[in-house]
Amino acid sequence: MRTLFVSFSLFSLLAFLVVLSLSFGAVSLSISEILSGFTPDSEFYFTIHEYRFPRAVLAVLVGAMMALSGALVQGVIRNPLASPDVLGVSQGAGLAAVVLMTLFPSVSIFWLPWAALAGGISAALLLWALCGAHSSAIKLAITGVAMAALYSSAVDFLMLTRPLEINNALLWLTGSLWGRGWDQVFMILPWLVLLPLAFWLAKRMNLISLGDEVATSLGVSIPVTRLSALAIAVGLTASCVAICGPIGFLGLIAPHLARRLVGGRHQILLPCSMVVGMVILLLADLLARTINPPIELPAGIMTAIIGAPYFLWLLLKTR
Amino acid sequence: MLRFLSAISIVFLFCFSAFSHAVTVEDSKGTFTLDYTPQRIVVLEFSFADALASVGISPVGIADDKDATRVLKEVRDVIGDWQSVGTRSQPSLEVIASLKPDLIIADIGRHESVYEDLQKIAPTLILPSRRETYEDSLKAAAIIGKVVGKEAQIQQRLQEHRVSMQNSAKQLPENAEVQFTVARKDSLYIHTANSYAGGVIHALGLQNPPLSRDDKQASRQIGLEQLLAINPEYLIVGEYTSPNVVDNWQSEPLWSVLKVARNKHVHRVNGNVWARCRGIMAAERMAQDLVTVLAK
Amino acid sequence: MLNVFKNLPYLGQYFILSFLLCLFAWLSLFSWSIVPITGQQALTALLHPDKNIIAHSIVLDLRLPRVLVAAVVGACLAVAGAIMQGLTRNPLASPSVLGVNAGAALGMATVSTIAPWFGLFGTSVAAIIGGAITWSLVMLLGAAWRGGNEHGRLVLAGVAISALCAALTKAMIILHEDQAAGVLTWLAGSVADARWSHWQQLWPMALVGLLGAFLMSPTLNLLNLGEDNARSLGVKLGWARVICSLLVLLLVGAALSVAGSIAFIGLLVPHMAKSLVGQDHRKVLPIAAIMGALLVMIADVVSRSIIYPIETPAGAILALIGAPFFIYMVRARTS
Repeated sequence: MRTLFVSFSLFSLLAFLVVLSLSFGAVSLSISEILSGFTPDSEFYFTIHEYRFPRAVLAVLVGAMMALSGALVQGVIRNPLASPDVLGVSQGAGLAAVVLMTLFPSVSIFWLPWAALAGGISAALLLWALCGAHSSAIKLAITGVAMAALYSSAVDFLMLTRPLEINNALLWLTGSLWGRGWDQVFMILPWLVLLPLAFWLAKRMNLISLGDEVATSLGVSIPVTRLSALAIAVGLTASCVAICGPIGFLGLIAPHLARRLVGGRHQILLPCSMVVGMVILLLADLLARTINPPIELPAGIMTAIIGAPYFLWLLLKTR
Repeated sequence: MLRFLSAISIVFLFCFSAFSHAVTVEDSKGTFTLDYTPQRIVVLEFSFADALASVGISPVGIADDKDATRVLKEVRDVIGDWQSVGTRSQPSLEVIASLKPDLIIADIGRHESVYEDLQKIAPTLILPSRRETYEDSLKAAAIIGKVVGKEAQIQQRLQEHRVSMQNSAKQLPENAEVQFTVARKDSLYIHTANSYAGGVIHALGLQNPPLSRDDKQASRQIGLEQLLAINPEYLIVGEYTSPNVVDNWQSEPLWSVLKVARNKHVHRVNGNVWARCRGIMAAERMAQDLVTVLAK
Repeated sequence: MLNVFKNLPYLGQYFILSFLLCLFAWLSLFSWSIVPITGQQALTALLHPDKNIIAHSIVLDLRLPRVLVAAVVGACLAVAGAIMQGLTRNPLASPSVLGVNAGAALGMATVSTIAPWFGLFGTSVAAIIGGAITWSLVMLLGAAWRGGNEHGRLVLAGVAISALCAALTKAMIILHEDQAAGVLTWLAGSVADARWSHWQQLWPMALVGLLGAFLMSPTLNLLNLGEDNARSLGVKLGWARVICSLLVLLLVGAALSVAGSIAFIGLLVPHMAKSLVGQDHRKVLPIAAIMGALLVMIADVVSRSIIYPIETPAGAILALIGAPFFIYMVRARTS
């Protein structure tokens, strides 16, 4: 009953936010103007169909994928402080993107997402090569943290030795939905294949949360489950980071919020995290666009500002 | 017969008029064609606004970082009011769309990633602005003049510009070494011969001091020690903030070792005009600044 | 070679390291200068300064404060790292890993973008307050006092808090684009702009912090035996923790406020020192101080030479050296 109520309120909130993000921005539109914006000869066609709508769709997709990835990582590492960031994927992707922007400024911007994707996936492969399948979850996480530190120091080094590129690189590194449209939506769609795989793992994740011994005695292969969950998380994170840049905190707080709403059963927790992620990112992007128009703030900053107080409160409470 | 003739002539006239407006230029993405004279233009860099103002055209929107004073005053006086479309690095596409422009002028360095979206709003002329040299900026101005149907005017304006620069050059000490720097709160950046300011300095018959490192970087951060090694005859400090790093350095004993300190040849100018604006009028303003402080 | 050095008596190692320190300090006074300076000039500048020679002015007004600041910053961070590791009994504890650097950076960025009129003093105080807040948060969250096998929890708490601070710092930078370059340089950490005024700000804090640390070293040794043993040997645990935490904040705050956020010294050096002289903090702390000083000084020389004549922040170079070591440490200590 509670689950039903929660999902009903979350979906209404989501729908409300979608309408809000279609109607507000640098120019405010009424509902009828929004509807007319979907027909090609309307004067709002660009604003709605080419700009706000794909952006909202992308926010929904990326929010869901980042949150799902966070829920998977927290489930596997069994630590509420873990997030996709501890795998070093975002930082690896960031390093690849910054290398491309600073060392090869003549290369077309078209290659940026692909470079970031390659960087993120190689970071994950490197982590796996360093740790292997049999190391403990916490060791995996801390090695990932150390790798992430290495990548971000390399990023700092590049940005400091090439001062002219700072602003472009910084903007990308904070994560933003600015200038993203249908092309990016279509780039991210194929990755949705990973969603059913994640749900298929949900039951095993529940057993893992009982502890390694219990899970093994119940016939769950810990290394296989862990590896597949992390691989899915890496795929989701890398594809999102490649398109929007690393959007901080989303993967950390969305699963927390979901856990408080619906509890720890992964069959419900995973979809709930996704919806929470969608809501947070839509809200962040809406605020980023409307707080001081026509200036656009990166959405990644807004997720941090929205998420940070909640995160601190949560941490102090669950200590 | 008469009707036929008049119909023919109308068709002919129509073709002719359309044909006479069609311009084709090379921009950073290849060939750009426009078959009408644009009336509502949005520019996403200051140098493009400068080029339009040079032929007396007012853009309807400028990406001015939401700070109108960043647009050169001489340009503001010509073009009157405009609407801000956000920052140069991330202009708001919906504001641009709401202005219903019929031409957008964008910078290849900053706006390549949204070129497709801009094309959906209006034909987009994409040219280099950020990190361009002085000569390239004049070429870009000529292209813009041609696209907005004022080719003769822009050529004439460029001619006047060269004369004006030569006149300024005559009032300046020949071959003097002038180093332009940008001062922030606690860091100083030199702009080398490859930078825009370096190009203007060269065009005025002055010299950029030789640097020990011959690199392509247009600007880089330096410390007091490196400034000592460059030791130019004149130091032009473009201020972004005040007080800034130069104020701190001036109180140090080592500062007095510099040639510019001993001869009192440190001159402060508006950092925005010198480092951000770029363009025909900006270059003339920079020349005036130099004449004011360096005149023989 | 290394084994010979390891087998030397403690005092011998101490003197060799001090000699190396002086040698590198001298090298640093004249090397990679655009205005040519000879080694001999560097010495005469120290002994018989002549204000009319540019080389002498450079040595005295730019290079000497820079060398001194680099050395003291290195010593402070290394000793702070050693105290943190002793206090938490966690080999991965250090100012950068546990978020103190990130908190200090956030404090500094907040003040320099929102209230720049506070000036240098304001940013230092903000850096120390920011560091203090994150340090307490991380210690509370990570249940640091338990020590033992909970290494991971503490580090993850540090990482989460660091990520939070870093995101907010980036927000500050983006909102005030004009200050971006300055904040980024500070974040990387550099002693390139150190002058006598910085030295005067640094040395009293560093002196108090280092002396306090040496006085606390017997207590740290007792803490190493475990809580119960320490308590039965007469250590007042609460007080020991409070004093050690204050010392860490003083040392880190002093170092960060003049040199910016220099990472990994606090992680790297205590381990190097312990591999030389064992676990006795009375020996570890002085050796760690000298090695930290040496390392930052060398990094500073390298930072000048790597893309000569452009200065690369020393902190960026230390991070590139330190991060692989961090990875190695994680692999060696958490299996």
